[in-house]
Amino acid sequence: MSVKVEVIEGGIPHNTIMIAGLVSTLVCLYLTYLNVLTNTEMFAFFGGLAVVTALIWGSHTIKVLCSYGIGTGVPSAGMIAFGSGVIAMLVATKPVFGMGAPIVALVLAAFIGFILGYISNNILNMKIPAMVQALTEMAAVGALSLMGFAALITGGFTFAGLTTGTISMLGMTVSSNQISFIGGGLIAVAFLLGAIAIQHPFNACLGPGWKQDRMLMLTAECGFLSMIVAAIMSFALVSAGSAIISLVIALGGWAYTYNQYICLSKRDAAAWLDAKPIPEMEGH
Amino acid sequence: MSAVAAKPQAGGAMNPTAMVIGIVMLLIILALCWYVSPGLGLMALIGITIGGVLIGFGTHFVPVGGAPAAMGQAPGIATGVAMLAAGAGLAGLFGGAWAAEQGLVVATVTGGVGGGLMMAITCMMVNFVYVFGMGIPSASGKVAKDPITGDTQAEFKSQGTEGHGLPFVSFVGGVIGGFLGGAGGTLIYLQLLQLYEATLPAVMGVPPAQVMPIAVAAAGIFAVGLFLVNAVLTAYNITGTIEGPHDPKFKRWPRSIVASAVASALCGFVAILIVAL
Amino acid sequence: MEQIVFGIGITALTGALATIAGSAEDTESNIGSQGDPNSQVQLAPQMGFLHRIFNKAVAGEPPAYGLWCALGAGLAWAFMAMQINAVLAIVLGCVLAVLVQGVYATTAYLGRTASLAKFGQPVYIDVIKSMTSVTMAHAFIAIFCTVTLCHLINGALGHPFPLPLLGLIWGIALGAAGSATGNPYYGKERQYQNQKFGAGVPISASGNIVRYAEAGERNSLDNGFFTHKIGGSASGICFGLIVFLEIWRTILFEEISAGWGAIVVGILMILIFTVADRYIEVWARKNYGPYTEPKVAS
Repeated sequence: MSVKVEVIEGGIPHNTIMIAGLVSTLVCLYLTYLNVLTNTEMFAFFGGLAVVTALIWGSHTIKVLCSYGIGTGVPSAGMIAFGSGVIAMLVATKPVFGMGAPIVALVLAAFIGFILGYISNNILNMKIPAMVQALTEMAAVGALSLMGFAALITGGFTFAGLTTGTISMLGMTVSSNQISFIGGGLIAVAFLLGAIAIQHPFNACLGPGWKQDRMLMLTAECGFLSMIVAAIMSFALVSAGSAIISLVIALGGWAYTYNQYICLSKRDAAAWLDAKPIPEMEGH
Repeated sequence: MSAVAAKPQAGGAMNPTAMVIGIVMLLIILALCWYVSPGLGLMALIGITIGGVLIGFGTHFVPVGGAPAAMGQAPGIATGVAMLAAGAGLAGLFGGAWAAEQGLVVATVTGGVGGGLMMAITCMMVNFVYVFGMGIPSASGKVAKDPITGDTQAEFKSQGTEGHGLPFVSFVGGVIGGFLGGAGGTLIYLQLLQLYEATLPAVMGVPPAQVMPIAVAAAGIFAVGLFLVNAVLTAYNITGTIEGPHDPKFKRWPRSIVASAVASALCGFVAILIVAL
Repeated sequence: MEQIVFGIGITALTGALATIAGSAEDTESNIGSQGDPNSQVQLAPQMGFLHRIFNKAVAGEPPAYGLWCALGAGLAWAFMAMQINAVLAIVLGCVLAVLVQGVYATTAYLGRTASLAKFGQPVYIDVIKSMTSVTMAHAFIAIFCTVTLCHLINGALGHPFPLPLLGLIWGIALGAAGSATGNPYYGKERQYQNQKFGAGVPISASGNIVRYAEAGERNSLDNGFFTHKIGGSASGICFGLIVFLEIWRTILFEEISAGWGAIVVGILMILIFTVADRYIEVWARKNYGPYTEPKVAS
């Protein structure tokens, strides 16, 4: 027995969300470049905002894909998105691409996603109309979200920045490869944070009463929640001041979106009861 | 939890044109890799492709029943196929990574044994709970007799269900699936580790001993990522549930070999570009 | 020699931690109703059976626990990199990870139940208020034990993977083992307690979960109390065996014949479990007996 979902029409069209998400993610990623220009790490929080906008785009793509009934659960889509995105993202951070890293990540991930979509639709014979475009978009979202996490936690997205950090031993600060985004394995945490956050909104709002604004608000809430913990982890790699800025922005954003989400759920629920018995229904 | 909508009946049919295009893509990627980084890079890519194919093929053996299995309505394990295979394979990768200094063959087989051991314990405990906790014997819904033990299945199947528990052939399938998945994941990890250990010092300009954490962590996360991609592709191939190697859906494995090969080669090539560009 | 004794001691500790983690994980996922049995909690209102069960639809258990454990491990790693004491770092990391888990649980319940408004399923605020803290507490035990065993494996036994990556691996393995073992018990035995014991649930009964039970209207705490006894214990034993045997065979036999010793021991263990499984299967067939006589020609 599976849950029946009708393909809901109406709301903001997917292409609008895709373009808006894409543009705002790239803008936020490039705004972290202010770190390089001003030689601080204070603008790292733009990486977190990039994650939020990328996730909003991605969760809507998952909604489009999973409405067709792919036969497996929703979380698999998030996994394949980030599994293909993480590889593209690391290549894009190489110094040879310089400032074009986000664009390279986008193009490379989209290419990988396109091939994966082709494989799924044609070799695996799934023949779902939205599959190729959806997997292309999701791989791109995966790569951009990971880049956003990297920028938030380390202050930039160059390969050198992701692989070196400082450790203070006996009062001296020494450069170390082990205390870094990749060397310390924080990329694994970012991977799962994003993979769960991208599929949770559609998975949690699944049902006949699905509403687009409620799902997108939940996506923003998941994005800010991920930003909170990522900001806490960034205390180890960036200066305390920048981490506090990211943390405060994340907490404020999360409190607002969580509150809004509860209000929207209240709006949509059949009843909002506190310690009341199960309602009587005929015949049951 | 998936949505039901008007989905065209793809089923188990094979698409020969797409398979040929897939093989051509694989050859193109191999050629590109030979051009960009012959020697180390090409060896690594071949290893990664084989590892990915092992993962994809191995996941077909793992018996997964999905939501109906949680109610005793279908045989198999009541978890998602991609994540159950990932769990077993990652437990294998853990063991294989530990044995990395002992050579490629030993480490890969260790990884496989780790994955197989995890599946053996899990499958046995599943049967344990079914038999002693719920009083339900195992019965398959897809075959009349267990191919390995010859036990007849039909008279043990509860009325109104498709079977339940883990018949012996499903158990064996699970162990084989865990073994292949663990071995494949470890192979991918070892190939990338070898490559990064050899090339990252030159790329980053640091001594080899210092670059170890980066090489290990990067190879590890790529192995996890490739694992998940291959497992999800297999989940797409079997549309979510399979009883084991005796299930008719198992015959779809040729599609998965080509799909996993192309996907792993592509992702592996991109992973090699990190040190080859 | 001392090296091996130290290794065995740590192995025993990780095995014990893994057993507790497995048991807590399964109980938590039953209190929150996560994973495959949750499809019934979702389906019941659509068939007209309204209920007061917590509907925690946060992916499946393996990816969810992969995230909580990786997150706990990552935060612990960050705190340790800031020179905070290891024990305090792990505790703080797990507390923060559990807070994230609690938020995800509440949003999942609100989302799924609000989307079932068409069938009249109400959102029960008291269910959120009472279940969330209990599920978070169980999750904390599971996450803390898993992150601690990862730290032991990384720090004391010298595994090359960094702590967060180990947290990811063992988190997914924990979720897979606990979900495989505990889900059928929760789904068949507790959710469908009114069906006949000793048989699978017929498809015609789908959605008709128990909603009025021994202590009034059933809620998820009752489910946790019931499933913990068998399902939780079995999951704990399962994950404990996995971690313990995997590390034990490596520590003791790794040096023998350049690694092949550990492989041979592993294969022997697989054979032992195969024999045990076959014994269980045959025991069931003999003692429970068939529904009907086996047909001569099939």
